[in-house]
Amino acid sequence: MEEADEMVTPGEVLGKATDLKAGKGAYAASHNNTIYASLTGFRRIQAPPPASNDKRPTVEVTGHKAHGPVPEPGSVVIARVTKVMARTASADIMCVGPKSVREKFTGIIRQQDVRATEIDKVDMHLSFRSGDIVRAVVLSLGDARAYYLSTAKNELGVVSAESSAGATMVPISWTEMQCPLTGQIELRKVAKVVN
Amino acid sequence: MENKQSSSPASFVDSTVVPGDVVLDLSSMTSQTIKLGGGLRQDCDAISAMKAGTLRFSKPNKYWIESSQKRYVPCVEDTILGIVVDSKADNFLIDIKGPAMGFLPVLAFEGGTRRNIPKFEVGTLLYLRVVKANSGMNPELSCTDASGKAAEFGPLKDGYMFETSTGLSRKLLSSPTCPVLEALGKKLSFEIAVGLNGRVWVNAASPDTIVVVANAIMNSESLSGAQQIIMVDHLLKNIQ
Repeated sequence: MEEADEMVTPGEVLGKATDLKAGKGAYAASHNNTIYASLTGFRRIQAPPPASNDKRPTVEVTGHKAHGPVPEPGSVVIARVTKVMARTASADIMCVGPKSVREKFTGIIRQQDVRATEIDKVDMHLSFRSGDIVRAVVLSLGDARAYYLSTAKNELGVVSAESSAGATMVPISWTEMQCPLTGQIELRKVAKVVN
Repeated sequence: MENKQSSSPASFVDSTVVPGDVVLDLSSMTSQTIKLGGGLRQDCDAISAMKAGTLRFSKPNKYWIESSQKRYVPCVEDTILGIVVDSKADNFLIDIKGPAMGFLPVLAFEGGTRRNIPKFEVGTLLYLRVVKANSGMNPELSCTDASGKAAEFGPLKDGYMFETSTGLSRKLLSSPTCPVLEALGKKLSFEIAVGLNGRVWVNAASPDTIVVVANAIMNSESLSGAQQIIMVDHLLKNIQ
């Protein structure tokens, strides 16, 4: 695979269909046998697989952040909590499913979406702290600023957290995590570990 | 370098410590429960100081560090003096001399409903109670006591407010009454509100009295009890 050369935008000519094959992000126009780009990105040429009959290299357009995974309603995301306030917690979405995102997405976990039972008695400070890694599900695209996330299921919630002494805590129950250095117990909404 | 770690905690109690001093060694005190107050931190078996100040001990098992700063760190159930900075839909933003603004919910008053929300101008001085104070979150304040009654909380009218250190505020609120306040109270009549965040409000019939009280309190920080009484007598002699 050769190094990427230049940035191309949709509609740019990538080459002739007689020399190249259209890969991801490119298409061949049948009327004049030219390959055009259909996405924005870097133009990459891949050598043809030796086993095939077709000896043309493949040209594809990849590498732009718009091609990264995007959270969709219903997808499970991993996020890091950035700020905990009285009725909401903000989180930076890091992974959508198994893939990490290429650009910054912000999510909000509202007080009523933290757990399924007794939602008006939720104390945000006893469920999340700044710096916790949480597994959440995307409820909706939310407003212009952030996605709406929910941790209201057994397998959702805090996956990893650091205690005030600086050690990674061990989950004890669905509400408690313990620091291995000092033995102090801190309250979080803990995700159930499913093997 | 010799590591001078004392095994008996009594040696550090009531003496000055600086951040990093190991004040207690838990490995030598087995099967005891001790309570750590502010300014102390646990690192496995060693308790070390995080603030500069005096280590205090109260029976049966409480240790804490007493220090005096200009900056206030909010604590639950503290009574403080706050200044209104802004008002939003659900709460007033209050400056409490701390790392973050305090939020005073619009309904946190005795008999407070959506229909009779008080209107505070920017700059109003309020006597408040801290309800929630978690690190990283803005502290939540209230103008009622724990049972919902007004109990002296709310706006303070007239008078004069000045700033002090947190240590002096605690001394003014200690019981038995601080010597400087007792000495002033014998000769003058005035009203005073002390906030644990380092703010004091004084009100009296004449401005002269207010100025004398304020100066006496500000001077009394580094004086002992007897010296405070002498200082107050000196000030009062000059105005009479």
